[in-house]
Amino acid sequence: MLGLAILLRDRARIAASGAAWRQTFAAMDKPRFLGTIALTLVYFSAMVPVGDLWPNTGLGFLICSIPYVAGTGLLFMHDRSWRQAVPLAIVALAGPTFVWWLFTYPLFLTLP
Amino acid sequence: MFEFITPLFVSLILGGTLVGIIFGAIPGMTATMAVAISLPLTYSLGLENGLALLLGLYVGGISGGLVPAILLGIPGTPSSITTTFDGYPMAQRGEGEAALRIGIISSFVGGIISLAVLWLFAPTLADFAIKFSYVEKFLIILFALTVMAALSSDMLLGIFSGVLGIFVSLIGVYDVSDGGNGKLRLVPPGWEYWLDSGFSLLPVLIGLFGLAAILEQAELGVPRGHSAKDIKVGRHSAFSFSVFRGQAVNLVRSSAIGTFVGILPGVGGSAASIIAYTNAKTFSRHPERFGKGEPAGIIASESGNNGLTGGALVPLLSLGIPGDSTTALLIGAFTLQGVQVGPVHRQQPGHLERDDRGHADRQRGDAGDDVCGDPLVRAVVTIPKHILFPVILMMCVIGAYTINYGIMFDVWTLAIFGCSAGWR
Repeated sequence: MLGLAILLRDRARIAASGAAWRQTFAAMDKPRFLGTIALTLVYFSAMVPVGDLWPNTGLGFLICSIPYVAGTGLLFMHDRSWRQAVPLAIVALAGPTFVWWLFTYPLFLTLP
Repeated sequence: MFEFITPLFVSLILGGTLVGIIFGAIPGMTATMAVAISLPLTYSLGLENGLALLLGLYVGGISGGLVPAILLGIPGTPSSITTTFDGYPMAQRGEGEAALRIGIISSFVGGIISLAVLWLFAPTLADFAIKFSYVEKFLIILFALTVMAALSSDMLLGIFSGVLGIFVSLIGVYDVSDGGNGKLRLVPPGWEYWLDSGFSLLPVLIGLFGLAAILEQAELGVPRGHSAKDIKVGRHSAFSFSVFRGQAVNLVRSSAIGTFVGILPGVGGSAASIIAYTNAKTFSRHPERFGKGEPAGIIASESGNNGLTGGALVPLLSLGIPGDSTTALLIGAFTLQGVQVGPVHRQQPGHLERDDRGHADRQRGDAGDDVCGDPLVRAVVTIPKHILFPVILMMCVIGAYTINYGIMFDVWTLAIFGCSAGWR
């Protein structure tokens, strides 16, 4: 009923929403926004199949997280230079490795 | 009484507060996000230590917003919007460090006053709430929906959003042990296995406050951060406690406003600081100075938004209703430790007292960390987003996956709700 009330009250605005969506889509940073969603979905999809190759080791998380962090970082970077890429590469390697170690050994939580 | 005060407990409070300040200090990152991605770390810590970490993150996250608000004129969190009004003009005059100290002390006082309210009222309210039947619980939920409608710019959409939330929470089996009929509700064919227990709360919240926040930044093209050159601190600018002379009423009133707003479900820190700031300006002898670098404005804003923290815990601990988004996440933290918040929580010996003690120690840690952490926090404001965001995304995945001890559907829940909230 609430939805129906909103539909009736805002019918003109809802009918004109196509133009608003087109404007939003035109203004957005498409490579970064859609790229983040795509990378995230690929990351989620790949984690379990990769992890199944080495069951109960959490290596699926580790192996998929390193390229994911590096790829997303490169996507978010404004000036892609070696000076900026090297710290990102270090974080992409060290971050997931540390998290994997933390959850696998001290916390005993199995990752994919 | 002091059996919980161990070196680990104190370290977690200090560490949590410091990390919270870092999150609050980076525009686009919030206390809620800090709590969301740190939840899995509390598994192995136990109730007291886990809460020490999370509550430290909560208060630190709220306090940290003052750093970019004063140094850059950009609120780190929505609750620091009014801090920019007077903090940034002070920084431009070369009084940045003095403004930071005023904000830190005001935050501390606001937190302590809200703690007093939490200590005094939560047990009483919980004792009262334990007598509530389904009728009273229904009326509380109705009250929460009314508040949402009143605060929303569009009343109809506000109620619709609340009802939509209830609709989503109904998905799954209404368990016989909870008084239900054991039948599936609102589950599409083929999804029975996954949605048997409905959507887990925490992956939903991590998606809404973690993934969605980063997607919003990505949509804007991940705005370039600030460099150290943009920050004019005016180190060792004159600071004297005399600035607080005549501000006792402002401090207490703003803290009380923040605490009261915190108690109301769903209102949030930005409303607390705005109401406190407006009141300080209205009752000031020199309202014309507000917005031009008036310390009373920073005092009102920061004591107001920190007053919120204790207030938001009152309905959480006594009624089981979160005061804001961060305390909604804390429900999950309690659940992970097998503690049911609300009136029943009061019946578990010592729990309220433990939470209050965590809050008290956290406020002490807050003041210490804020003062000692200034140079570090100033540096944090300039950390590049292209390094932070991917790591946060990864931590969101870890958080969602480990909440129910390794269910991949929770990660997809995070994706569904995160993308839905980010795509708007």
